[in-house]
Amino acid sequence: MSVPSKSNKTWTDIVTGKKTYQLKFLAAKILLGRLTHAVKDDPSPGNIQKSIDQLHALFSKNAHMPNVQEDIKTIFG
Amino acid sequence: MSQAIMSIDEVKGLIEKGRILLLSGDEAVLGQLPQGKWIGGTIPYFMSKKHGGISTKEMVFCTDLSDAVESANIIEYNENSLAKVYSEAPEDGFCFVLIPALSQTHLTFALNAPNYKDFGVRPLIGWITGVHLDDLGKVAPKVINGETGKFLEDAALVMQAKLPQGKAADIGIINLFEQGDGDILTFPQDGFSATDVFVNGEKQNFAEYLTKNNFDTKLPLVADYYGASVNISFQAVDTDAGEVKFYAPVFSSIRYKHAKPVGDYVNEFTEKLKSECGLDENRLLFSCNCILNYLYSELEGKKTDPMVGPITFGEIAYQLLNQTLVYLEIHDV
Repeated sequence: MSVPSKSNKTWTDIVTGKKTYQLKFLAAKILLGRLTHAVKDDPSPGNIQKSIDQLHALFSKNAHMPNVQEDIKTIFG
Repeated sequence: MSQAIMSIDEVKGLIEKGRILLLSGDEAVLGQLPQGKWIGGTIPYFMSKKHGGISTKEMVFCTDLSDAVESANIIEYNENSLAKVYSEAPEDGFCFVLIPALSQTHLTFALNAPNYKDFGVRPLIGWITGVHLDDLGKVAPKVINGETGKFLEDAALVMQAKLPQGKAADIGIINLFEQGDGDILTFPQDGFSATDVFVNGEKQNFAEYLTKNNFDTKLPLVADYYGASVNISFQAVDTDAGEVKFYAPVFSSIRYKHAKPVGDYVNEFTEKLKSECGLDENRLLFSCNCILNYLYSELEGKKTDPMVGPITFGEIAYQLLNQTLVYLEIHDV
């Protein structure tokens, strides 16, 4: 399963906390637990992009896992 | 999948057959084992299918990875090099890590793992090794590299396991604790101890706050990590010094709440398993549970099947956790 590109606006919505999802992939939950707070504290474009890069890499490198595939469907339909 | 408590002779037999093993046991028992493809951590407490919760210095808890993995490498890291643990993990597999409690490597990992390069891109599971509670302060927790027979007091041992094509590893946690309805607690800095806390944004002395509010410190602080509850367990409250110590670090960027009380551990655990895991025992490769769960829930003699394994001084599921059960499943993909 392909992971939508980093330019997809939904990634921004996730790391800024504008949209939340009930995810299954534990690593994504733990990472987002930190990133969403970090972006609230520093909502600069650079910090948002850094957070998207990290989250996107996490999903891309685990795209073969069933939980990740379900999460991609949950987020992007 | 194979997880069981065994006699020394049974484990020796597996090592001599060249099996790839994750072992836990008392230092004296692990020291009697021959060299081979294994790593071990010291602890004399276990959950077993046969006995339920058990404390023994005579037996070894053994997880046999051989049928599940294609190959495995054992790597020794120190407090500095451990930062590479995610980057150096095998692309198709997982890493299993053992770190001695209270070592500098333990403290460094606890504070810094979430900021390690490539955090979470590969599954990392493991536990913090310990000792019998009667030996606390007298005997240092250790890890042992089975390939060399060397005991280490301040290092992390990692088994880098490569899975066959068509398999993937996934880590889960079972946490009986959930955030209660009380105050939002935040801390001015990261650390294993705190003097100050912000209670709903108002600065107070944390020890005084806990005492004044008659907090049950058997119940941890709980953070909500995007829907995953992560605990910080209390080690000690020193009202004279105004300091509170934890078994895992609090982070300044995270909001905590005191946990809701738990009733009957075993019943609630069983319910949690049913409701959250949907776990197929055939997929379960490894699990471990926290010593505080073992003590506070009086698990000695009780069974928590299918979850068995060492009882630990801290659990690792990507980062350090407390008062949690962690497990590793292998899926077909």
